[in-house]
Amino acid sequence: MSTLHVLSHSPFGDDRLTSCLRVIGAEDALLLSGDAAYALQPGTAPFNTLGTRGLKLFVLAEDAQARDLQTPDWAKAIDYPAFVELSIRYDKVNSWL
Amino acid sequence: MKVLTVGARAIELDKDGFLLELSDWSSEVASALAAAEDIELSPEHWEILELLRSFYSEFQLSPATRPLIKYTALKLGPDKGNSLHLNRLFKGTPAKLAAKLAGLPKPTNCL
Amino acid sequence: MPRSLLIISRQSPWSGPGAREALDIVLAGGAFDLPIGLLFLDDGVFQLAANQDARALQQKDLSANLQALPMFGVEDLFVCGDSAAERGLDPKALSLEEAQVLTVGEITALIDRYHQVITL
Repeated sequence: MSTLHVLSHSPFGDDRLTSCLRVIGAEDALLLSGDAAYALQPGTAPFNTLGTRGLKLFVLAEDAQARDLQTPDWAKAIDYPAFVELSIRYDKVNSWL
Repeated sequence: MKVLTVGARAIELDKDGFLLELSDWSSEVASALAAAEDIELSPEHWEILELLRSFYSEFQLSPATRPLIKYTALKLGPDKGNSLHLNRLFKGTPAKLAAKLAGLPKPTNCL
Repeated sequence: MPRSLLIISRQSPWSGPGAREALDIVLAGGAFDLPIGLLFLDDGVFQLAANQDARALQQKDLSANLQALPMFGVEDLFVCGDSAAERGLDPKALSLEEAQVLTVGEITALIDRYHQVITL
């Protein structure tokens, strides 16, 4: 069963992203919300890791915009209605609280 | 707050009749708590109360009904570790009432 | 058939309420006979270190509570072997003997198999 993993903590000084990337499956996707969007800060370790992983990766557009983060071509910026649609499309949502 | 009088001692209870201080428990206190529930403690009651106290000292929590039955079956055999026996002894709510008489905190997962 | 639930507990027992909250969900689920699993991941494996002493911090003893899981009907207990090894814990000497030690790949498959997942 596919899982949409949702992160909302900054990847700097927190290991949720690292841990999530270890256990994420081939059918799964990752959504960055809140401070987790900082993973798209160019030139950083989280950015480089995500860029080479070939994941299905989403970011909440408003969280990226607020933080002045450009969405790279290997990620997709989505709004809240699309977030809701995604949570339905995947069998379950795993929020890394 | 309620108070239970045992001999010369006044023992504090919470609004549901559980001991506020677990260290206040003694067999006299258990008998008095039981009397307040119209129960006269028989040897069959006592062995369950002792079992609950050992459950609490082992796991540091009060069992909900299902674990209480399981633990009783493990320690005293299936003749006693079943809901019929425990319900009969403790008026249909064994986890809650037996924990109260054994001087344990209210079971948190007993919804 | 009730939907299965996996709780992923990834906080140390002393860092805040996370570890206890995860356990409370599992105990409540077990009391209702839900098909429930518990995985210790990341710092969560510290919950299984032997010989912890809750009295030093005047807290309740989470280790003792964890031993009650099989009694609450929760037998699907798992621990991330890599998390334990990285933290200097021998995965074979943890305080919850019933827990199966899993590799990262096995954890991916484990998450996949459950209907719902809560990570705390």
